Amino acid sequence: MRTSLLKNLALFIASAFCFLGAVAKPSRPVVIAVSTEPSTLDGQAVIDRNSRVASGNIFESLLDRGANGQVIPWLAESYKAINDTTWRFNLKKNVKFHNGEPFNAEAAAFSVNRIVDKEYKTQRASYIENIKGAKAVDENTLDVMTDGTNAVLPVQMTQLVMVPPKAAKEKSFGVTPIGTGPYKFVRWERGREIVLSVNENYWREKPSIKEFAVRVIPDPQTQISALQAGEVDLVLDLLPEQAKLAPKFISVPATEFSYIQFNAHKKELADPRVRIALNLAVDKVTLAKTIYQGHGRPMDAQHLDKAMLGYNAKIKPYAYDPKRARELLKEAGYPDGFELVLHAPIGRYLKGEETSEFVAAQLKEVGVKVKIQLHEWNAYRKLGRIPGKEANAFDLKYGWNSNEWFDASRIVSHITCDGTSSKLCEKKIDELMDKAIQTLDQKARDQLYQEVWATLNKSPHAIYLLQQNLIYGLAKRLDWRPRLDDEVRVAAMRASQ
Amino acid sequence: MNHSSLSAFLLARLRDGLLVLLLITLVIFVLGHMIGDPAALMAPVDASEQEIARLRRQLGLDRPFTEQFATYFGSLLRGDFGQSLWQDRPALTVVLEALPATVLLTLVGLVFAGLGGSLLGVLAGARPESALDRCANFLSITALSVPNFWLGLLLIVIFAVQLGALPTSGFTSWQSLILPASALAIIHGARVFQLVRSATFEEMTKPYALVARSKGLPERLILWKHILRNTAVTMLTTIGWEYVRMMGGAAFAIEVVFAWPGIGQLMIHAASRQDFPVLQAAVIIAGAFVIVTNGIVDLLYRYLDSRIRAA
Repeated sequence: MRTSLLKNLALFIASAFCFLGAVAKPSRPVVIAVSTEPSTLDGQAVIDRNSRVASGNIFESLLDRGANGQVIPWLAESYKAINDTTWRFNLKKNVKFHNGEPFNAEAAAFSVNRIVDKEYKTQRASYIENIKGAKAVDENTLDVMTDGTNAVLPVQMTQLVMVPPKAAKEKSFGVTPIGTGPYKFVRWERGREIVLSVNENYWREKPSIKEFAVRVIPDPQTQISALQAGEVDLVLDLLPEQAKLAPKFISVPATEFSYIQFNAHKKELADPRVRIALNLAVDKVTLAKTIYQGHGRPMDAQHLDKAMLGYNAKIKPYAYDPKRARELLKEAGYPDGFELVLHAPIGRYLKGEETSEFVAAQLKEVGVKVKIQLHEWNAYRKLGRIPGKEANAFDLKYGWNSNEWFDASRIVSHITCDGTSSKLCEKKIDELMDKAIQTLDQKARDQLYQEVWATLNKSPHAIYLLQQNLIYGLAKRLDWRPRLDDEVRVAAMRASQ
Repeated sequence: MNHSSLSAFLLARLRDGLLVLLLITLVIFVLGHMIGDPAALMAPVDASEQEIARLRRQLGLDRPFTEQFATYFGSLLRGDFGQSLWQDRPALTVVLEALPATVLLTLVGLVFAGLGGSLLGVLAGARPESALDRCANFLSITALSVPNFWLGLLLIVIFAVQLGALPTSGFTSWQSLILPASALAIIHGARVFQLVRSATFEEMTKPYALVARSKGLPERLILWKHILRNTAVTMLTTIGWEYVRMMGGAAFAIEVVFAWPGIGQLMIHAASRQDFPVLQAAVIIAGAFVIVTNGIVDLLYRYLDSRIRAA
């Protein structure tokens, strides 16, 4: 009697555990883990990646990016500049917002005017620079007016999302967002998850994944555990050493370029030969292989990917050549080297501190003694803005340049004489950059930027390190090719059960 | 305890509590302003000084410190904790929304810490150097020596990843509660165990226990009737203290590891976005919890103590 009771009990416990397991893993929607919770889902207000995972699937823009990062028509069928300060967009017909409001020139004009309004708080400030406003010409034609000639307007329009006029006027728009995109907002449980479901009336091909959730998991170790346990399907931004723990991982070149900026106003660094020497002294290949375990590659001595406007295919990374570096330093009058301070932020960039140490060690090999100074982020940013000629300006500064514009114009503030972060002054570069931003013809603009990089190659503004990778962790069942811009588009994913 | 002394006691506690809260408010406000500039953090990386200045004006961060504190404190008195910079809604609402999850987690953790720690503590203290005592002692010392978050990660790897029996993180079903509550119960139960064990051991050697034993009372009766009554006060204060420790930060680390949607996780997000109003509100609310818990423990202590004296 007693043993059978025990047996029954054991059986009961065992079945309870099976039941637990079964409950824990029903056929569930696709889940994407993010490390911080979005502040709002209003697609016009925020820019950070964690917010875009949700809002980027709800909202769409007039233009978008194709597979190679090129600007392509989206909610607009075509566009062109009709004069120096006006761009005309022909909009797609028969597109509706999730709440039934029609998407037309009226709505598009409202969307542009809403975000450029000074009273409207947006983190997307750089995406509305030099946009004055917009007006509807007729039902399906929109004019966007710029402040002076603005050659990057098409780039800006890829991130300026369309919102429905009626709903967007409500205060609750940020928590009940409505767009034209492939997914509709379902619910948001603060601190837990955001659930979206497929838009049945989507104007393009309907996505195969019917529902997905964005779950907040702050700890990177817990994220990978959740992926291993099969609770989430996609984890963004794995650490290099975590990649192999994921059921599947994809490592893709990102629009992030790490570099060590020179203060070319400093006596020793004023000579371009010295700056070239320091570029030659650093072994970028080993840096990518060791510290980043292969998740990155030496950039082509320009903060651009092949797909980006202004990329100069003739420019290659400076080869690792410490012997030549020493010769150049000697020629420049520094046979015994000199001392510099390298500034880096704490905990901001993946392996930033380690990379700084690596570079310092390599520069020592050619006689340049580098002391590393770490800063808290805000102090670091302030330091970056001190003009190069002032006594407390930095010598060297480690950072990442994120070129989410896919356009060389993004770097203007780093290389022109008056640029907010610039520590270099080359007349020729200023002229080229000025001319380029005034040039509406994209091919001609491309040529101008290529020339900028060619000029910088003879007078580098930085030690060009790596084009960094983003590492995504995927569940076995998920099939997805990440985009070059780091948008997470669920419509392009497939999931088997 | 008569009524007048009770009300005097309560009034004194209330006064002290409010004073402590005021201090907390001041400290957190000063700290918040020393740490950094939320406008610079909220602005995009390449924003110009003008853009940052515009944002700072919008947020009211350009006004003098004293003016900001006076405005803040004035609104606090009206129950207005300010607007969350990050979520753009009342900071108090943001915190109160996250509070139930924290209360649920900490209370469940506390119940198991209290029951488990006390029971094992009494048993081990009654039979020092027994197998049970050595074993429980070893485990509790181990639990107290490892960092909280590490214990949490260990539980996740064993029970969620390897065995697949429980969810790793989040709060999607009641099973989600088991691992984080266990982590809290282990960490805090370990300390309850240590204190109850030594209190029991001490009581066992006191004259009244010897007298009871010499009278021929069975050991079990001595333990559960006499000893327990005297260790109850220790148990209670220890458990109260452990709750204070949880709400003072220990539970927050566990929340972050387990992605538990409570105020600990909220504070981490708020801190990374330099959202002062939410941080301030969360610290003040957590502070209020600590103060109220302390008050309740004091009250119960007086009550139990007077009963013990009366007995």
